[in-house]
Amino acid sequence: MQSFSQFTRGALIATFAALTLGAAAAEPLKDGAANYKPFAVEQIGIALAGAKELQAATKAGDAKAAQAAWIKSRNGWEAAEPITGEFFSKLDEAIDAWPDAKQGYHAIEAALFSGKLAEIAASTDRLVADLTEFDKELKAPGFTFTPQGLINGATKLAYEVGENKSKGGESPYAGTSILDMQQNVEGIEAVYKLVFEEPLKGTDAKLADAIDDKIEDVEGLVKVGDLKKVDQAALKRNGEELAVMLQNAALKLKLKKPAVGE
Amino acid sequence: MRAARFSLGMAMLLLGAAAVAAPITTKEGVLPPGTELGDGVGAQPTELFATELAGGKRSDQQILGDMLFASPAIFGGVARQAGISCNTCHPQGAGNAALYVPGLSSRHGTFDTTGALFNSKADNHVFDPVTVPSLRGAKVLAPYGHDGRFASLRDFVRKVVVNEFAGPEPSDEVLDALVAYVQDIAFLPNPKLENGRLTGAASTAAHRGERIFHRPFPHDAAMSCASCHQPSSAFVDHQVHDVGTGGFFKTKTLIDADFNAPYFHDGRFDSYGQVVGYFDTHFDLGLSASERADLVAYLEAVGDAAQPTTPDSVESELAEIAAFVGVLDTAIREHNAAIVAITVDTVGDEWRELGERIPEAKDTSVPGGLRERIKARAAVREAVLALRRIDMAASRGDFDAATAAYADYRAQVAPAAVAMAAAEPWSLFNTPIRRAHVAALARLTALAK
Repeated sequence: MQSFSQFTRGALIATFAALTLGAAAAEPLKDGAANYKPFAVEQIGIALAGAKELQAATKAGDAKAAQAAWIKSRNGWEAAEPITGEFFSKLDEAIDAWPDAKQGYHAIEAALFSGKLAEIAASTDRLVADLTEFDKELKAPGFTFTPQGLINGATKLAYEVGENKSKGGESPYAGTSILDMQQNVEGIEAVYKLVFEEPLKGTDAKLADAIDDKIEDVEGLVKVGDLKKVDQAALKRNGEELAVMLQNAALKLKLKKPAVGE
Repeated sequence: MRAARFSLGMAMLLLGAAAVAAPITTKEGVLPPGTELGDGVGAQPTELFATELAGGKRSDQQILGDMLFASPAIFGGVARQAGISCNTCHPQGAGNAALYVPGLSSRHGTFDTTGALFNSKADNHVFDPVTVPSLRGAKVLAPYGHDGRFASLRDFVRKVVVNEFAGPEPSDEVLDALVAYVQDIAFLPNPKLENGRLTGAASTAAHRGERIFHRPFPHDAAMSCASCHQPSSAFVDHQVHDVGTGGFFKTKTLIDADFNAPYFHDGRFDSYGQVVGYFDTHFDLGLSASERADLVAYLEAVGDAAQPTTPDSVESELAEIAAFVGVLDTAIREHNAAIVAITVDTVGDEWRELGERIPEAKDTSVPGGLRERIKARAAVREAVLALRRIDMAASRGDFDAATAAYADYRAQVAPAAVAMAAAEPWSLFNTPIRRAHVAALARLTALAK
């Protein structure tokens, strides 16, 4: 799977080129938001591809492949989390419902990782359908991300990354909560780097650098082998600090202070 | 008590109107699967303070101690990672009969304080769990520890922080505050007891039991139950005794003891009937069945309380948050960045915990109140971030900015309280909502089995 850093090589070059040429300098945030779209499309594409592989593996009765596919799908989904609830709340509710045991990733996870492959066929079909719809809406030419929505989503996720997961994280049955967290941070980084960093450097370079450093700190805190090794207190503090900094950045960029509620 | 959105440790089983937390089921966490912290929602042990009962107001130091008591930050290692604080094992200063940690507990309400999980350096390689005691009346219950090895409460508290839970050496400020708080936790009022004697509110059987309690033992006229459990001295003699349970252990108070089961240092007995039966045999008291029953009635009367628990509510949680955050008044004024940091972390956790009791929008098991829930959860998050701004300012030494951020936080709290109150009918504080949420969790857990 392509990581954000790999993704950015191409995307950032395009962004910087546009900004340098001055063609989009008047509305750098809107252009940044447009440049973010391919990242979101890619991640939802990964989520959808994983879900389809899960569907196929389920039909074939291959539990191991099904589990690997669920994890792949989940990785894409978690990296896109800054935008899932913010821009697609209804689909987000269906795809990532909790603790509803009827649909979505977690209903599938609970059965799949306890060896009940036969029980996930219907919920997997539904997941594929929901992600297909998500993918379609996201790719629609008329759909655009608003800078305000993007910074709202990134700020919320920074807050949520700091939630204490010492008693179990988002994917406790798969045991992949740490991957969720890593993908979340990658998702935040993508939003910041692709949309906000350059414009912010123009208004408050110190804050821009501080956010960059803070993302790196948070990234370092979740770059561990498993959830047990995460310094929960430090992660909470750094996640909250990042959320505060993003709120400050929004004001500097003449956006509204990001609302951190759902 | 600290909660992640997906923490299965927050799953609650309904026991009547109240709820307790279900065991932790995931291997992902730092606590072993099967751990039960008893951090459910429904009712909290009632906590009263001697200062307030005397008509006074708790000191800044006592409130600081109260806040630190609820802070995992004073511990280290696994406890800190798991968000465990003094208050986890002693909720509101009471005992925790629901506590169970596989490998450290022989039964619910017991805990091996010298096990490897929380501090490998203190591991004595002996499985010797003891009960988690109530701290009510601790001021008059020296010596401390089940074997009474600590004459000083301060030394005992330090030992808990450093030895049992691998915390860093606490500062004098921290230790003094913790002791000031614990010493202020009062026994609960009991209309059946006055100055160590039963009142008319107690039953006839209890009064008969009181006479047996004071009656000399048949084989040693110098002894009676009351010679160790001295009614005029909070039912203790401040001594340790060997009563045939494997060593010398201190005399336990009988006040509030109805709520302190299991009994004896290792929690071997569930009921007063078993306790009385044991002493009858051990001291060859020759009690008849009716005398045993009368003695049990006496113990029940002495150990009773008018209001042992207090309903959990948004209001009670906000009151605790308000008390804790008051620590910042002094800490910011004194430019005490360390106390600001620990207060922000602890109060932030309290807010987050409160927010987790308002089901999120994606929790489709909860019908209705979506707008109120969303608003309340947003208000909680804003409060947490407003607190963090205080810490960020204080940590860079800018206490003017910290003061301004504190004022901003205070301005946010009033509307947050309104939003929380509006969402309360759709929160886990409301029994039917809690049932629906718990049922959904149970379905998910069942699916994963």
